[in-house]
Amino acid sequence: MYELKTLLPQFDIKLPTCMYPLKNVSLAADSLASGSSTSASTSASTSSCKLEANRIDRTGRNAATCALDLDSLGRQIQRLLKDDTASVAARQEKVLKQLEELKAQLGQIRAGLGVCGKTFQHTTAFQNGGLKEVPLQDVVINGHPNFIPYALLALKNAWRNLYTIDVKTFTHSTMADIGPAAREFEANLAKVPVNPALPKISVTLIWKNCEHTEMISSPTMYVPIYGEVNIIRYLGRVGPAEYRYEGSPLCNEIDLVLDICYQLLRCNTHKTQVAMVRLLDKRLQKQQYFGGSQMSVADVGVYSSLIRMPAVTEKDLTPALVAWRKRAKLVVQI
Amino acid sequence: MVEDKEQVANGEQVSKKGAKKLAKAAKKAEQKAENASTAAANNAGGDSAEDHAAGRYGLSEMIQSKDKRSERNFVPVSELSGQVGKGLVWVRGRVHTSRAKGKQCFLILRQQSSTVQCILAVGDVISKQMVKFAGNIPKESIIDIQAKPVAVSSKIESCTEQSLELSVEQIFVISQAKAQLPLQIEDASRPENADDAEGLNIRVNQDTRLDNRVLDLRTPANQAIFRLEAGVCRLFRDILTEQGFTEIHTPKIISAASEGGANVFTVSYFKDSAYLAQSPQLYKQMAIAADFDKVYTVGAVFRAEDSNTHRHLTEFVGLDLEMAFKYHYHEVLHTIGNTFTSIFKGLRDKYAKEIESVGQQYKVDAFKFLEPPLILQFADGVAMLREAGVETGDEEDLSTPNEKLLGRLVKAKYDTDFYILDKFPLAIRPFYTMPDPNNPVYSNSYDMFMRGEEILSGAQRIHDPEYLIERAKHHGIDTSKIAAYIESFRYGCPPHAGGGIGMERVVMLYLGLDNIRKTSMFPRDPKRLTP
Repeated sequence: MYELKTLLPQFDIKLPTCMYPLKNVSLAADSLASGSSTSASTSASTSSCKLEANRIDRTGRNAATCALDLDSLGRQIQRLLKDDTASVAARQEKVLKQLEELKAQLGQIRAGLGVCGKTFQHTTAFQNGGLKEVPLQDVVINGHPNFIPYALLALKNAWRNLYTIDVKTFTHSTMADIGPAAREFEANLAKVPVNPALPKISVTLIWKNCEHTEMISSPTMYVPIYGEVNIIRYLGRVGPAEYRYEGSPLCNEIDLVLDICYQLLRCNTHKTQVAMVRLLDKRLQKQQYFGGSQMSVADVGVYSSLIRMPAVTEKDLTPALVAWRKRAKLVVQI
Repeated sequence: MVEDKEQVANGEQVSKKGAKKLAKAAKKAEQKAENASTAAANNAGGDSAEDHAAGRYGLSEMIQSKDKRSERNFVPVSELSGQVGKGLVWVRGRVHTSRAKGKQCFLILRQQSSTVQCILAVGDVISKQMVKFAGNIPKESIIDIQAKPVAVSSKIESCTEQSLELSVEQIFVISQAKAQLPLQIEDASRPENADDAEGLNIRVNQDTRLDNRVLDLRTPANQAIFRLEAGVCRLFRDILTEQGFTEIHTPKIISAASEGGANVFTVSYFKDSAYLAQSPQLYKQMAIAADFDKVYTVGAVFRAEDSNTHRHLTEFVGLDLEMAFKYHYHEVLHTIGNTFTSIFKGLRDKYAKEIESVGQQYKVDAFKFLEPPLILQFADGVAMLREAGVETGDEEDLSTPNEKLLGRLVKAKYDTDFYILDKFPLAIRPFYTMPDPNNPVYSNSYDMFMRGEEILSGAQRIHDPEYLIERAKHHGIDTSKIAAYIESFRYGCPPHAGGGIGMERVVMLYLGLDNIRKTSMFPRDPKRLTP
């Protein structure tokens, strides 16, 4: 084959001569004495030691010196590592201590808050359905004079020998005149004496231009309770033990009767009222009272609801209901 | 018409002759100058000669009671609705606003809180000069108007008399106001609710109002506020007089700072010093000792408190009462509580228009109260506060924030803005307060609150001189300074109780306003001594 010539001319690369010649620092023997702990320096030192060893084989001391240097370097490195680990461990322990201190502080704060809290009078939770029996300063009932809460008077009479209900009445500024029926109701409330020896429930009755009968026991702890039937339930739970029906086997029955009363009060036509009365008759069946053989809050609810329904006359009631009403009248005395 | 003919003739001549354009221009210029001078001459003649409404308008001479003018029957603006279709009437009022345009001028005439629109239009009776004069009357000038009330087809929304307007026939300025007013009544009357951000939001701040009180008091809200305030005083007097109370008048210059010792203004009294009374307390009690049994007084009360708050003044009107009772101070407590209830009912029933008028400028919630008034024990109030999370001691006085919070709790529970707190701790009441015999920690004293702020502080007083001295010493009071006061009980004094009410504060809280200076006609506080 033919010889191939290069197309490009070859240039000789000449090193510049204007610069000073520089020593190779890593090869300098002086660096051996530095003893730096950095990895680069360590590598350089090691290399330097080897070179020296190669050059001066006959001198044993130099070799020993190199070995010593390596050993010292190793020891330095290990020492550094140990220091790092120790400091990390120390910091970790500090952090743990701080955490423990924080926990202690939080515990103290919680304890402090606990001390400030109110002490409650805890009674048997089972008996009143878990409702906390906070001492009642005052229970406010807002009612419209057109819908008189007769249950209040019924309960006051029924509990005459068990509890005492102290009722104070006020007229709100939205109500110019409360009418004769409300005044008569107030007079009847005043007739029942207040017995200081018995446990007391304070009730403030405010005649007000409002849509629903409403009860407020504490504006900061409880929401208002609407509806006369629900107020009966509440008072039944805070009242005497004989009327607390949560633990009774007739609990559901009593609630059902109270629900029928609630719907009865909302009926607009006489036809539906009569239908509700028939439902009540079914609930009564052969019993003496809606709550069994004894008077209960269900009877109070039915009795006061029927008073508020003048359109429901004795003709609309069944004979069983008429007989029941006579028995109940002896207790509630309205 | 002659001129027009000449122009036509000139045109024809030019066209006939075929004159140059320059000649045309020159002649037109001459014609214009001629026309202008002719028009000016005509106008001058017309102004001086043709004012057929002279004598029906102008600046009236100063009224010096020269004659009686009994033939003029003036009708109040608020009663104009009964005058529609009944001929000409005279009305005197202020120019609230005026708007002149072309041959018409509309004025809003204001009389206290009532406003009505007046209209002047060039016609047989009214000349152009008269309309111009009406348009130039400065605002707030007092004018007399003879006009005919006429019904309008659509309501005039910006006036109180919306179904009619006045067709003016004569207008005279009785008292001309300065053209530049330091504040506009319209701006001062603007509602404070910022509902419409697009509308005018020019506000007049409180200091400017008080510096120009004469103008500020003309706003409808202020007219209503101070009529309400007069109503409070009138109802207070009427209710107490019906219950057998006697109004007394007590001195305000006293010789010694009897009660607190601090917070008293000093007055130079010839060669000695005298003081302005903090309350008429001592004189009320002396009147009871003098067998007046039931007394009340309405007068100035001075408190040298350096308090610049929304509810403190250094001088205010106090409504004070004191009453001898038989056996229990609640006789007095119920009397005062029922007096308040009657005042609130009177304001609700008789001053509904004024309350509505204030409501147009400031947000006024209806004031709610119970009858009979709600009475809570101090201990019950403290229990309510603790239930809400407030830490307060049994014998600790209620701080202002706690008072407000308790007011909100009572409002939430009983829905009433007025209530009474009874049986305050004895340690926080003055020395003349009778302790509770059943519980010596408490006292026979009470406060009354409106919207969570105190309006009355009262108590049963100690009517036995030895016991009074004992209590005064217990409070560290120098008994020599109150010797005359103690001496008045040595000749027999019945048991009595009473209280003092701040009138401005009652009106402020009844309307729900935010500053007591709004209900003081000329307020005094540590920084304000004028007007």
